Amino acid sequence: MSYLFSYDYRYDDNAYDTETSNKQVDVEDSIGQIYVKYVEPGTAQYGGIFDNTMLRLHRTKHEQFVRDAMHGLSSGFAVLDASQPWLSFWSLNSLDIMGRTIDSTTRTQALQTVRRFQDQRGGFCGGQGQLPHLAGTYASVMALVLVGGDDAFASINRERMYEWLMTMKREDGAFAVHEDGEVDVRGVYCVLVVASLLNIMTAELVSGVAEFVARCQTCEGGLGPYPGVEAHGGYTLCGLAALEIIGSTHVLDLKRLARWMSARQMAFEGGFSGRTNKLVDGCYSYWVGGAFSILQRALSRTPQDDMLYERRALQRYVLACCQDMRIGGLRDKPGKSADLYHTMYGLLGLSLAQHYVGVDPQTRITDTTSVYSVPARMMQWDVVTSAADVVGVSSNVVKPVHPVYGVSLVPLAKCIKYFYALPPLAPSL
Amino acid sequence: MRIEDSEQVEEAVPLAQQAEWQDITPIEQDEGEGSMCPIAYTDEYRELMGYLRAVMAVGEVSERALALTARVIEENPGHYTVWVYRKRLVEELESDIAKELDWVSEISSKFPKNYQLWHHRESLVTRLWAPSNAQGVTEDQRVTNPVLRRELQFLGAAIDEDSKNFHAWSYRQWLVSTYALWTQELVFVDTMINQDVRNNSAWNQRYFAILANRDPSAVHLEADMAKSEIEYVVEHIKLAPNNDSPWSYVTGLLLRHAPSMLYTDLLPRIKQLAADNAYQAAMTLTPFYWSALLDIYEQQAADHPDTKKQLVEESRAICDQLASETDIIHCRYWNFRKTSLDTC
Repeated sequence: MSYLFSYDYRYDDNAYDTETSNKQVDVEDSIGQIYVKYVEPGTAQYGGIFDNTMLRLHRTKHEQFVRDAMHGLSSGFAVLDASQPWLSFWSLNSLDIMGRTIDSTTRTQALQTVRRFQDQRGGFCGGQGQLPHLAGTYASVMALVLVGGDDAFASINRERMYEWLMTMKREDGAFAVHEDGEVDVRGVYCVLVVASLLNIMTAELVSGVAEFVARCQTCEGGLGPYPGVEAHGGYTLCGLAALEIIGSTHVLDLKRLARWMSARQMAFEGGFSGRTNKLVDGCYSYWVGGAFSILQRALSRTPQDDMLYERRALQRYVLACCQDMRIGGLRDKPGKSADLYHTMYGLLGLSLAQHYVGVDPQTRITDTTSVYSVPARMMQWDVVTSAADVVGVSSNVVKPVHPVYGVSLVPLAKCIKYFYALPPLAPSL
Repeated sequence: MRIEDSEQVEEAVPLAQQAEWQDITPIEQDEGEGSMCPIAYTDEYRELMGYLRAVMAVGEVSERALALTARVIEENPGHYTVWVYRKRLVEELESDIAKELDWVSEISSKFPKNYQLWHHRESLVTRLWAPSNAQGVTEDQRVTNPVLRRELQFLGAAIDEDSKNFHAWSYRQWLVSTYALWTQELVFVDTMINQDVRNNSAWNQRYFAILANRDPSAVHLEADMAKSEIEYVVEHIKLAPNNDSPWSYVTGLLLRHAPSMLYTDLLPRIKQLAADNAYQAAMTLTPFYWSALLDIYEQQAADHPDTKKQLVEESRAICDQLASETDIIHCRYWNFRKTSLDTC
């Protein structure tokens, strides 16, 4: 694996520098200083031997960071006052992925907190007294999935939720994220995740969705938030995952998408950038890493086929560069402070690179018309242990997660089991 | 609390102590014991939010409510609910929209990555100058209309500050689309590309400006246009061949809208460049040149099956070279590309 570290992989600016190349070079400098510490002295210049045994996930530090946040956040966090469900979701999911217990006190705390965000008219808000929002709804529902239990699931008003989701539906097939709010593919993702989990999928809800998402694919191959807008890792995951839920990934030019996605992996850093000619960022470990898992299925590749990115290089980036040893938690890149968002997405990306979570092309269900085909297809995603590849000490291994939903498989299964025992709102899509 | 001058000293006084607000009972958040991730709000923020919830609950429409929304937004511009409320207030109070836009501009200089303020701008601009009114005049006249001129200036400043501000470029697309400002956009794009040839947002905008709202699946690029784009791209590749943006742009553009020109026109130009002493080394070393050849050969083989065998062989060699030497980090992708050659 020595070829994965070398100064040869540094960005070549062709002796013509611009703001973009200067920034890239600066980032590589700071990351090079970190990586070189893991490399056998004197070998770095031409392909150093990277000592992976030095790579360790500092779970205890990260757990402390998350629990401190769960206990209370400083006044500066008022800027996230409209994202309160996210704070709970980022925290709970980070703990869960690291295999930390969500004990009954934490469970009750989370349930009580998230319940207060539900709006009488349907959906969940960014905080009490706010309008319901698709992102806040997504985060609230996912938090409740992690909390688990019939009481948590029963607290969600499915009928009101469906009514509210339909009021967000727009003519072009997409959804506004809140009343009078912006329309983009994020909204589509949030709706389909929530609807597929709560068993409130209908033909009306998903009509036009595939067409809208397809229009978001740019000439580069990635997806943007809205037709015409620049291809971006976050929106690519949103669009691809949404299509996967309704079994329509084939509407995209998958080959062109694969090309763009591959280019997101930075040669020197090993991590992903979110857009062409932009910098590496730890959160894209999930946005782009998750997209690769879904792409694997969309291309009908098997666990014997490699993932189309370098899993080990990605893990190295997260472990060597994204852990904040000062305050705990994970971060975007060296020089940035850790935060809950980057902690969760960094851990999700690590998980997806360590584990192979996929669908066996031989047995995959292709029906997309029955409401029940949705959970059936989603539950086909499974861990293929023989294709695991954990970098660093073996205790670095974290829980496998579902690439579409971004949570571990057991809580997801329990949620699906609960909601699909209830009558669907429509028999077919 | 920002106390800048004597006029603003009054704002620093708690609302509970202001005569104007005596009639309102603030609505507190239910922060029951054992909340998860409770935020330790400042007294000021807590109070502002309590009064905001109270006036929103009764749907109050007033100047004092408007002023309150401004204060909340300054503390937390991500509070999407208060933006929706403010929009309604501005409409019902028939506030001066130009002044409102000024205020939004101030906010955006403090919070450039905020979603909501751009969305708010959209609604203000369409009210100030309805798009249907803009149709009767020429683009030159539209561009010099004070409303649009101000927006373009504002966008110019935002992009100047952060040349890849995602929200700014996205808003620009909305503005250009809504008011058909296509010609000036191509000029703007060219300026930005020349400022930084690696600015992918600018290259994406170029595609957007050329398509000019036409349905991509229905656009076939005229030969002249395709040729001039190829020339444009080649001139910019010369500056720095190892730059993803122009390569992705031109292969994407031609693949979608003039596929045969990939091999009739783009291919000879880049081969010429690769043979040129001045560029040979750089062209050989950059994965983007070889990747473009793969895209070109794939199209050519599809259109001319008699050449397929030869082109597939050459393409396989390119994939091997990329995977083993030129672009090792992406070797798994190049190996995949190689296997999918046989199935095209």
